[in-house]
Amino acid sequence: MIDPHESTARPAQTTDEPANGMMPPPIRRITLDSQPTVALPPSQDAVAIANTGDRSLAAAGRPKRGVAGPERMTISDLSVYYGDNQAVKHVSLPIRQGEVLALIGPSGCGKTTLLRTLNRLTEVTGSARREGLITLDGTDIDSLEVTEHRRRVSMVFQQPNPFPMSVFDNVAYALREQGSKRPKKKVLEPYVVDALQRAGLYDEVASNLDHPALRLSGGQQQRLCIARALAARPEVLLMDEPCSALDPKSTNVIEELIVELRKELAIVIVTHNLQQAYRVGDHVAFMYLGDLVEYGPTDDLFDNPKAARTRDYIGGAFG
Amino acid sequence: MLRRLKEPWTDRRAGLLLGALACSVLAVIVFMLVFIAIKAWPSFANNGLSWFSSKGAVDQQLDAMVNSGANPSPAEYELGAWPLIYATLLTTFFATFFGLIFSLLSAIFIVEFAPERIRRVIVPVVRLLAAVPSVIYGLIGILVLAPFIGDSIITAEQKSSVQFVIPLSGTGLGVAIAVLTVMITPIMIAITVDGLHSIPRAWKEGALALGVNRWRAMWSVTVRAARPAIIAGAVLATARALGEAIMISMVAGSKGFSPNPLDGFIFFFEPVRTMAATVVENTESINAPAMQSSLYAMALVLLIGAFFLSIGSWIAKQPLKKYGTRS
Repeated sequence: MIDPHESTARPAQTTDEPANGMMPPPIRRITLDSQPTVALPPSQDAVAIANTGDRSLAAAGRPKRGVAGPERMTISDLSVYYGDNQAVKHVSLPIRQGEVLALIGPSGCGKTTLLRTLNRLTEVTGSARREGLITLDGTDIDSLEVTEHRRRVSMVFQQPNPFPMSVFDNVAYALREQGSKRPKKKVLEPYVVDALQRAGLYDEVASNLDHPALRLSGGQQQRLCIARALAARPEVLLMDEPCSALDPKSTNVIEELIVELRKELAIVIVTHNLQQAYRVGDHVAFMYLGDLVEYGPTDDLFDNPKAARTRDYIGGAFG
Repeated sequence: MLRRLKEPWTDRRAGLLLGALACSVLAVIVFMLVFIAIKAWPSFANNGLSWFSSKGAVDQQLDAMVNSGANPSPAEYELGAWPLIYATLLTTFFATFFGLIFSLLSAIFIVEFAPERIRRVIVPVVRLLAAVPSVIYGLIGILVLAPFIGDSIITAEQKSSVQFVIPLSGTGLGVAIAVLTVMITPIMIAITVDGLHSIPRAWKEGALALGVNRWRAMWSVTVRAARPAIIAGAVLATARALGEAIMISMVAGSKGFSPNPLDGFIFFFEPVRTMAATVVENTESINAPAMQSSLYAMALVLLIGAFFLSIGSWIAKQPLKKYGTRS
């Protein structure tokens, strides 16, 4: 168990040294609650208020919240270990169709691990071990074929990772790999175009689908990766800080895309950017050192956080 | 002067010195090429293009050169080197072909499927194997493999079926290909493993996240992206196979004979001798001018072959660059 005070205390020692003659940054101390963490169920009132967009804050430039559909994935009592280190501690969360779940928290708090566990990518890491139950539409994901599961629960990574192929081949990749026979380019084309359109990239690449994907700009590459994931028709889309490597304009494009996509998909997004979580999230889960500290509708969590740690984190980050 | 040497090196100075070194290496290669070409000229001049054809028993022609004296007549330069060229092509092609298959599959196993403990052992062992002197492989080939094939694999029937054409003893094309494959595979594995390792993990994870299994992700993304490295490894190994002399000379049967594919499986038991092996075996009679010129001619053919190999690999890599990271 890592003592959080130790990590927050470290910058204090550096205050003695004059750092280029500038004032050291203020130290923000995050105190641990002594109480064990309980995930708060979303209050129905808050959801209703958020959905109707009744509140004054919601009107101020914030997109309308999505309409929560049926629960697609359920995480119950999930723990993930890397060797002896417990990265995720007894987390329970629902993932619903038609809404965006934003995972926030400081670096190394287990957000990405949690996300990777959802499509069983942690299994690629030899030392990782998982406890607890994850279900997709009521079925334990361990009982599903792993490739089948990953097709239904697809993932977009922090760094855009288009394959070193043409734009077309990138989007068609999953489609080609799914069938035992290699479909003709003509057959694939409508699917590829559709995926590119849904990812908002088609207009920019329509003239040359044979363009090397690695020569697109960073934002275009990330949208290509989203298109590549969408082409496989996933039911849940996991996004691991999809905008952290991008400029504000590309970020804006992708955020609009996320809000658009949630109509047909369940989306889980990990983000370091609290404003982004605020803008795109319908529900927000705040994690800290592997614990799920607080979970609730975005407006509730940001305007009226219940746990002291959430208050500190959000308050510190905002002001 | 000494004081000047002790001064810190400027980039200009370093550049000039290193440039001079690089140029001298280039100059040595060019000088060697010209020298060999001049020495080889009498052999080519007296034979014309028929140097590359088959003109009966090449071994008899070479023997005649040994006894031709200091001023050989044009007739004594006569050489039809096709059996030697053919043997070189056969051994190199088959060894590279099998080596490519073995090395690619082993490299995929090492990089993707081998447990960490096995990988930690197997990678240094492969690198060690790549450094084993070829004569050791030749020794095993001639003392173990060739007698085994001669005694247990080739039947008396097969021996008698071709006994008036060529005696079968065990040493031959097949053993040469087998030992050559074993010799060049480690270096191909080592280079391919490095190539596969250098492909970003993010690409493989991206493929896995799309619901593709590890084998397909490896094949369709990682191996695809590592093709330039695989070609580089294959070319290096092919060059080694092309020029291998001692080992081939030991296990290939050392006869200037063209194996006939129509003989069926016996094809692989028939003895051959490559150009490099011929050069090595005739160094004793190098003082006969006709022999000397003929050996230089073979050396030139090998040199130009290696040159075309490099060009070929460069051409093969061009289309792969289009979608790669380097533009």
